[in-house]
Amino acid sequence: MGEHKYTGPIAGIFQKLADVFKTDVYMVNFVILMIFTLFEVAAVFFTTIPGTDIEITRTAVWSILIGVGIIKGYGIAAFFMHLKGDPSIFTRTALFPVVFVALMLWGIGLSNPDSILGLPAWCSPVNDYSFVTN
Amino acid sequence: MSGSLHDVKNEMWMKAVVIGVVLLLAGFVAYGVFTVGVGDAKHHDYEVAKDEYEAAHHAKTIAEEEFYLAQSRWVNDGEPTEGHTWDEYVAAVSALDSAKAVDEEAHHDEIDAHLSYLTWTTLGKTLMVMMIFYSGFYIVAGFFNSIQPEEEHHHDHGDHEEHHGSASPILMAAGILLFMFGFSDFVTTSKAWLGLDYEAQIGGFMLAAVGTIILIIGIGNWWREDMKGSPEQVAVSDPFTGNDIRKAGMWIFLISEMMVFASFFSSYLRMRTEWCTQWALDAGTCTEQEFAEFGVTTASDLLRHDVMTLLPGAINTFALIISSYTIVLALKTAKDTNWKPSDNALMAKLFPTRKKTIRNYLLLTLGLGSLFIVLKLIEWSHLIAEGLTIDTQAGSIFYVATGAHGLHVFIGLLVMLFMIFKADSVGYDEKNGQGIEYFGLYWHFVDLAWVAIFPAFYLY
Repeated sequence: MGEHKYTGPIAGIFQKLADVFKTDVYMVNFVILMIFTLFEVAAVFFTTIPGTDIEITRTAVWSILIGVGIIKGYGIAAFFMHLKGDPSIFTRTALFPVVFVALMLWGIGLSNPDSILGLPAWCSPVNDYSFVTN
Repeated sequence: MSGSLHDVKNEMWMKAVVIGVVLLLAGFVAYGVFTVGVGDAKHHDYEVAKDEYEAAHHAKTIAEEEFYLAQSRWVNDGEPTEGHTWDEYVAAVSALDSAKAVDEEAHHDEIDAHLSYLTWTTLGKTLMVMMIFYSGFYIVAGFFNSIQPEEEHHHDHGDHEEHHGSASPILMAAGILLFMFGFSDFVTTSKAWLGLDYEAQIGGFMLAAVGTIILIIGIGNWWREDMKGSPEQVAVSDPFTGNDIRKAGMWIFLISEMMVFASFFSSYLRMRTEWCTQWALDAGTCTEQEFAEFGVTTASDLLRHDVMTLLPGAINTFALIISSYTIVLALKTAKDTNWKPSDNALMAKLFPTRKKTIRNYLLLTLGLGSLFIVLKLIEWSHLIAEGLTIDTQAGSIFYVATGAHGLHVFIGLLVMLFMIFKADSVGYDEKNGQGIEYFGLYWHFVDLAWVAIFPAFYLY
């Protein structure tokens, strides 16, 4: 740990920052996580950019929350969880459920508000209970 | 198991029992100081504030009555802008305005006093419950291990000893099974003992208690095995060939955890896209009328616009990030064979030796994780006081999702207790540091989950 030199378009930036400040990538990652968290909280807390009349729109807040989430997620997974530097099988394992998570978020989270009532006929259950006897 | 082998004498486990007793005492002291001491004083302040608010509210009601009386006199007099009825009317308006201001201020003071009281009592209760859990683990696991027959030393075997497998997971699973059987009665009995209107169900409670003891013994057994150490098992078939089995297992466990949290998010998103919230109203996706009729107040509506309400969540976010970093530092120190104390005098005093440095970083992680739990429960007590209860739709998804996350943090803290004990006794080094690394994966995952939960439930 600590002696590994990170390369790549994003990890390389972290490494360069570590080299410039004469520290390790973990420290750089930690500081970046702290700064972006402050940024995230401020984006929601302030309705205008401090010191100006420029309004922080809903779209801007959304973009910041998602963007910061991705950056923080990358920082934690790549450096703290050592996915960058470990054998690629661990990254592939970590990414394996992503498709299921996306399906779940789309299928449940963003599904038709009518729920099962709004399903097309071809995937609706046959509600014929005439065979049921008391 | 860890890659190096250690001789662990049974007497060492008695140290765990002693630490457990100290933690238990600390918990009771915290309860006495915060809940009974400060809490009682704050409760008195709350009662005073409540009386003042009632008096202010009563004064406002009288001022309103006098205003309506003066207004009707003035209207009956033909609404002149001078004369006796006009003067009375102006005086009544002024008195009502000032009564309303006093009433509003008293109301704010009452809310502040109530929240302050809740803060201190919840702090004391949470610390006490946490310490009971911490000490329970140390006392039961320590005592169980201290009475085990001594095993022969590992010196002659070198690091080539075979891994013998472990019965601990089966013991732990049996303990969880029994606990879950008795869980509903455990909750009912706990509520009855807390003075709520429930009847104690001792049978189920005892089943849950026995399950808990078996669970702790299973964990204690695991502690013993891990403390002694055994060679790291390496996968010999695809896809993890050449990698530590424990690491592969941890990642597989984490992807299952990912699905658990994804299900919470899906449910939240499903409900949230349909609700008419303040955010939806501001964005123009629902109308004022719809909001008045079906409006939903989310936790974020109550939290995000005020520094003091947002502060616990924000501090928790920073606490988790810092704790992620401290565990990285513990691992880095364990792996660093050329470790030297810092040139800085204070740092050298705080982190004098490699062994103590690892232990202290783990202690810091434990402290930050405990802070997370304390702040979360204080925040919950405030939200419940403001009406966001678990029997509302917005409350149920909030408490279930953030509660499941909090439970993960708490389980992590219980594992950390053992790691601290191990770091303080046999110690971690470059040979057995994998324990910190694999636990770190879990801890970072908990941090990662919070990266998604915090904006979704606190800021959006």
